[in-house]
Amino acid sequence: MAETQPAPIERRSLRAKPFSKADRAFFKSATWAANSSIVLVSLIFIFLMWRSWPAFESQGVDYIFGSTWDNNPENLVMQIGPMLWGSILVSTIGVVLAVPMAISLAYFIVFMANDRFGKIATVMVDLLAALPSVVLGLWGLLIFSPVAAGWAEMIYQGLGFIPIFDNSSGNFLRSPFIAGWVVAVMIVPIIASVTREIFSQLDRDLISASLALGAGRWSTFRRVILPTSGGGIVGGVLLGLGRALGETVAIFFVLNLVFEVNWFNILEDQGGSVASMILAKFGEAGQDEVAGLMAAGVVLFVVTLFVNMIASFIVAKAQPWRK
Amino acid sequence: MTQLSAQDINVWFGQRHVLKDVNLLFPEREVTALIGPSGCGKSTFIRTLNRMHELIPSAGLGGKVLLDGVDIYEPSVDPVGVRLRVGMVFQKPNPFPTMSIKDNVLSGLKLASRKHADPNGLVETSLRRASMWNEVKDRLGDPALSLSGGQQQRLCIARSLAMDPDVLLMDEPCSALDPGSTRRIEETILELKEEMTIVIVTHNMQQAQRVSSQTAFFLAEDGNPGQVVEFGSTDQVFNQPVDLRTNDYVNGHFG
Amino acid sequence: MEKVAAMPIDPTPVARPKNAEPWKQISLSGIVTIVLASTVPLATGLLAMVLGLRFELALLFVFLPVQLLLGVLAGRRFSGKRGQADAILQIFVIFFAMSVVVLLVSVVWSVVERGSAALSWQFITQNNVYISGQTSLEYGGLGHAIIGTLLIVLLSTIVTVPLGIATAVYLTETTGKTRSTVRTLIQALSGLPSVVAGLFIYAMFIASGLTQYVGWAGSLALIPLMLPTVTRVAEESLLLVPQELRNGALALGSSAWKAFWLVTMPAAKSGLITAVLLGVARIIGETAPLLVTTFAANNTNLNLFDGSIATLPTYLYTFIASNFDTAVQRAWGAAFVILILVAILFIAARVLSRKKTAKKAGKK
Repeated sequence: MAETQPAPIERRSLRAKPFSKADRAFFKSATWAANSSIVLVSLIFIFLMWRSWPAFESQGVDYIFGSTWDNNPENLVMQIGPMLWGSILVSTIGVVLAVPMAISLAYFIVFMANDRFGKIATVMVDLLAALPSVVLGLWGLLIFSPVAAGWAEMIYQGLGFIPIFDNSSGNFLRSPFIAGWVVAVMIVPIIASVTREIFSQLDRDLISASLALGAGRWSTFRRVILPTSGGGIVGGVLLGLGRALGETVAIFFVLNLVFEVNWFNILEDQGGSVASMILAKFGEAGQDEVAGLMAAGVVLFVVTLFVNMIASFIVAKAQPWRK
Repeated sequence: MTQLSAQDINVWFGQRHVLKDVNLLFPEREVTALIGPSGCGKSTFIRTLNRMHELIPSAGLGGKVLLDGVDIYEPSVDPVGVRLRVGMVFQKPNPFPTMSIKDNVLSGLKLASRKHADPNGLVETSLRRASMWNEVKDRLGDPALSLSGGQQQRLCIARSLAMDPDVLLMDEPCSALDPGSTRRIEETILELKEEMTIVIVTHNMQQAQRVSSQTAFFLAEDGNPGQVVEFGSTDQVFNQPVDLRTNDYVNGHFG
Repeated sequence: MEKVAAMPIDPTPVARPKNAEPWKQISLSGIVTIVLASTVPLATGLLAMVLGLRFELALLFVFLPVQLLLGVLAGRRFSGKRGQADAILQIFVIFFAMSVVVLLVSVVWSVVERGSAALSWQFITQNNVYISGQTSLEYGGLGHAIIGTLLIVLLSTIVTVPLGIATAVYLTETTGKTRSTVRTLIQALSGLPSVVAGLFIYAMFIASGLTQYVGWAGSLALIPLMLPTVTRVAEESLLLVPQELRNGALALGSSAWKAFWLVTMPAAKSGLITAVLLGVARIIGETAPLLVTTFAANNTNLNLFDGSIATLPTYLYTFIASNFDTAVQRAWGAAFVILILVAILFIAARVLSRKKTAKKAGKK
């Protein structure tokens, strides 16, 4: 071979620039459309911030942590502490109830059902996801609430000595417990479809190997499936959590919004939800109070954005094949 | 008179240097075969000849590709024009699934916004040149995917021929086909070389010997970028190779 | 007839290849578990009726324990300790999956049962003028709300579909620098609380005095909610188009635009239509954003640019909280109509995707 000179070879620029006018218009409109989503998110943030700034300014830190809402125009006090905590409490209950159902459903579809049953169950998950929240609210208020109140009462009778199951009012309707159930119904399909996706992408050889080695379903699940797909499932759960935090109409019908923090008495008929509160107060709010509701919107936006970003990051990381 | 040549072609993907200093001349109306083990960069190289290479996001290039003395990578050259003159047939048959057989043949005209005086005549001549007219003349309106794999590949050749290219690049056109279809495509190649310059990448040594008049042997050793180890007439490369590695390869000792 | 009778049913199942999807093979203990799972509920139901227990309690306190006990016994009998753990896993999985089924059926059935009672020709054609919660069901209806929903959703769709598909094109067909940012933001938008989307439009147009409650504001509020669905599904369907097709088109001397228009887009057509259908299904039942942007109306309003417009969700919303039976019946009727619309969109999307996969399978 001839002597190899380490002299760097010139690398040419390979910018594949569109040559024709139609191409340039094509790429430009696609770019423009895509970047409009950046504009959209910024606009949402800017306008909500702008309209809500007076409320943040007049209420200060207590807007988040205080627990009074007085719409007397002379002395407007707006604090969303109980609503914010209520959102977290209801969402947590929803997630706790939804996770076993969703993971079981996904496990059933991927690892147990034959193709036909699996397909039916998949369609079911999609259908559940397509149910509008106002319809679930109607169902939750008129059909489910009485039933769940019965469960709540029974839990109270059996386990009322445990503080979280205490109930001093004797009224079991419109409690965080019931709202949590309704939210669970909403987020089961989200968690289930992410989990199903992740389960179905698992390395089949790994699972066959595990079963061939004589491991049962349970140990295969615990030692092979969970460790490899755990991250993705957590991401799916967070996506569900984001949806739960933003749920508005359904919770509005089945939860009693009270401006007094209910820390953990989940059977008590008082709770909170930022999104539902916005809806509840919006109709009768004066201009200054609307600023306060906008501020609640900002808080909600930031919280859900944060949860969603983490969730999609985790899901994306757990699915390296989707790039 | 169409002359295609590659001068000092170097290719990178990201920071990885995959092809080094390739110099090849493709004489008019001759078939040049590119052979070599998998991963030696022959497919990468053939894609540089009609600027399909630049469609890969991380691709980098050094050197020139001259088509009639003009460097096709000059900023003033429209890649679309290059691809009109240098047609390409891919490894896997890729007829357009939403179009009929006839529309597939005419797809190039539509895609390149060209008009043709006699489209029906063009369909017939192109399919004849790809030696499949008799098989499909009664069902030109059928979806392209109703054809067998070998027919699909010949349809793709016909599709390229309809644009009347000066050069035809073929990237392992028979690797997904059965021996019978392979045979027919080789016959087509031998007919076509009367009219155009053909570059074909192949894994099949007998095929290279059957269809080509000159052969380039590519090799990438131990993580080094791929290079042309030997380039000459097909007869010489296969029967009196200068390089020992070529000898080993064409005699089936590795790869 | 004779022939069928003459052929005894082979008691041994058709032999499958031993290594094919072993995780789906149902073992003997699995069969026993499933038999128990299907017969025990019947017994439990009877027991519950006899004892006067509530159904769901019977399910939880009688059915599940009995099932677990039997499952464990069966599992242990057939494969020892391992079978025991497996039986517990399977029974819990079936139990929780069945709970989802029960919840879904409960929702759908209650809407269908109660909603269909309210439905009549006059109910779906008349509007809500002079109607209160006490008015008999023989008067008034939600015709104006159906029209309003269709108009508002139509405007959102006209804006969102080109935007969403163009964004998907940017993500799949170009090498733009902001692709990952855009993808992240679209993902973030998919978690945007719907009420916040409404507040945003309220802040932008209504609070700033540009307009009163009006139909188009509602349409705008639905855009950020619809966009992520359309973009994601469209992106996925474009990604399914093999790269070789694009290359084939480009190698023929096509411009990128023509390659997309004549090759990539037709190949992804059913997926793109599915994207639109699922996008519409996503917003057709949205309530909160409409309440704060276009509110509700009783009259039939065909003009998106003048005054409030009634929609099905807001119609439902206004009647739901009432104590009067007829009002609640109207709410159920509205829910039923929404459900029908969602179901139509949904079935259309399913049929399209089925056709696509069938075509693929048939031609392979």
